[in-house]
Amino acid sequence: MKTILLIEDYADSARLVIRTLKPYDYCVLHAPDGETGLMMAMEEIPDLILLDLGLPDVEGQTLASLIKGTPELSHVPIVAVTAWPPATARQMIEAYGCDGYISKPISPKAFPSQIAAYFDPEDDE
Amino acid sequence: MTLPALAIALPTGDTPTVELVPASRFTIEELVAAYNQTRVDYIVPMPMNAARLREYVRNYDVDLDRSFVARAGDQILGLAMLGVRPGHTWVTRLGVVPTQRRCGAGQMLMEQLVAQSRRLRASYVTLDVIKNNEPAHRLFLKLGFHEVRELMVIRRPPAIPSNDVLIPPYTVQDLSHRQATALLDQRRSAPSWLTENSSLINAGSLAALRIELESEGQGWIVYQKTVFQLGRLVLQTETGDPHQVCLALIHALHTRHPAMDTKSENLPVQDPHWPAMQALGYIESFRRIEMHLNLS
Repeated sequence: MKTILLIEDYADSARLVIRTLKPYDYCVLHAPDGETGLMMAMEEIPDLILLDLGLPDVEGQTLASLIKGTPELSHVPIVAVTAWPPATARQMIEAYGCDGYISKPISPKAFPSQIAAYFDPEDDE
Repeated sequence: MTLPALAIALPTGDTPTVELVPASRFTIEELVAAYNQTRVDYIVPMPMNAARLREYVRNYDVDLDRSFVARAGDQILGLAMLGVRPGHTWVTRLGVVPTQRRCGAGQMLMEQLVAQSRRLRASYVTLDVIKNNEPAHRLFLKLGFHEVRELMVIRRPPAIPSNDVLIPPYTVQDLSHRQATALLDQRRSAPSWLTENSSLINAGSLAALRIELESEGQGWIVYQKTVFQLGRLVLQTETGDPHQVCLALIHALHTRHPAMDTKSENLPVQDPHWPAMQALGYIESFRRIEMHLNLS
């Protein structure tokens, strides 16, 4: 089962992500702020990190650079979940080494396949 | 000081009475919860926690006795804060929860902050509105504010400066917090509230670099270094070409701190150092429009 770490401060958005992914074979962990997110990432070494760029304690971009700069986590794909306009979102994720972005609010219909695209279907450990 | 709540009946009969309550009557946690609710649907939401709001109030001289929460019964509709410094005030964190917009609460809060500013005999009120936040921009224009300039929030991810950019040879001197604050006294650029010397000194953890080019040119940069981030950059070219001086300053800064993320707020769009900063990896996050309301 793949582990996804969701770092999202807004409870309604977190609930929507968790509910949308519930029917699928993922273990979704939730961190409500950046500091908790970084600690959970270090402890769990997730297979994917979904990162809200607007967090209350540390900015998402700063957190992305911390995660990518941590040797144990540098391989973990980070997908930014953001309401930024697409051009700005692309610029930010490229600059900060994120592996992609998904626009907020998420579409419950499209979201599972957007997430699945970050996993190799053959790699079902 | 205990301040009274101001009850103001909105014009329509079926709308509950809205009262403006001084923000100092709420806990920081209550203010954070209210503020985050007002920003939940913003493109740039900028949520806060209690520690961040406390820091914000301290750094930017926010007067919670002169800041207000709009409330109808038990429900918080919105809030707005007022920074107070000699001669001028600053409106910040204005927001109304999404379900309560278009009821006049934002205008009531603004009018109250302007009235507070008049009482303080401020000569002008300033604010920064995120570019493309049309409803807020329209409200400020309606209340008599005028645009002053555009400001950028800029970032640079951690990286050693690229070798692709030709950096003029330079010598560099590291300066302490005390020396950094002394440099700020020599500053020529016109700061916004966030970048005024008071804001930087309140924020603390300042350092500075002074460079001298082998060819003609001198300048300095003051910056803040926190655990995770560099920020609050103030650059000044003393002599020579600002572009060349800035290349050397930014190169020196990020050679010293290659692992640090950098974010700096409110660099004027027309700042002559910006092209050199872009060449060394800075990107624009978003823009704000600085607006003033003259009271004198």
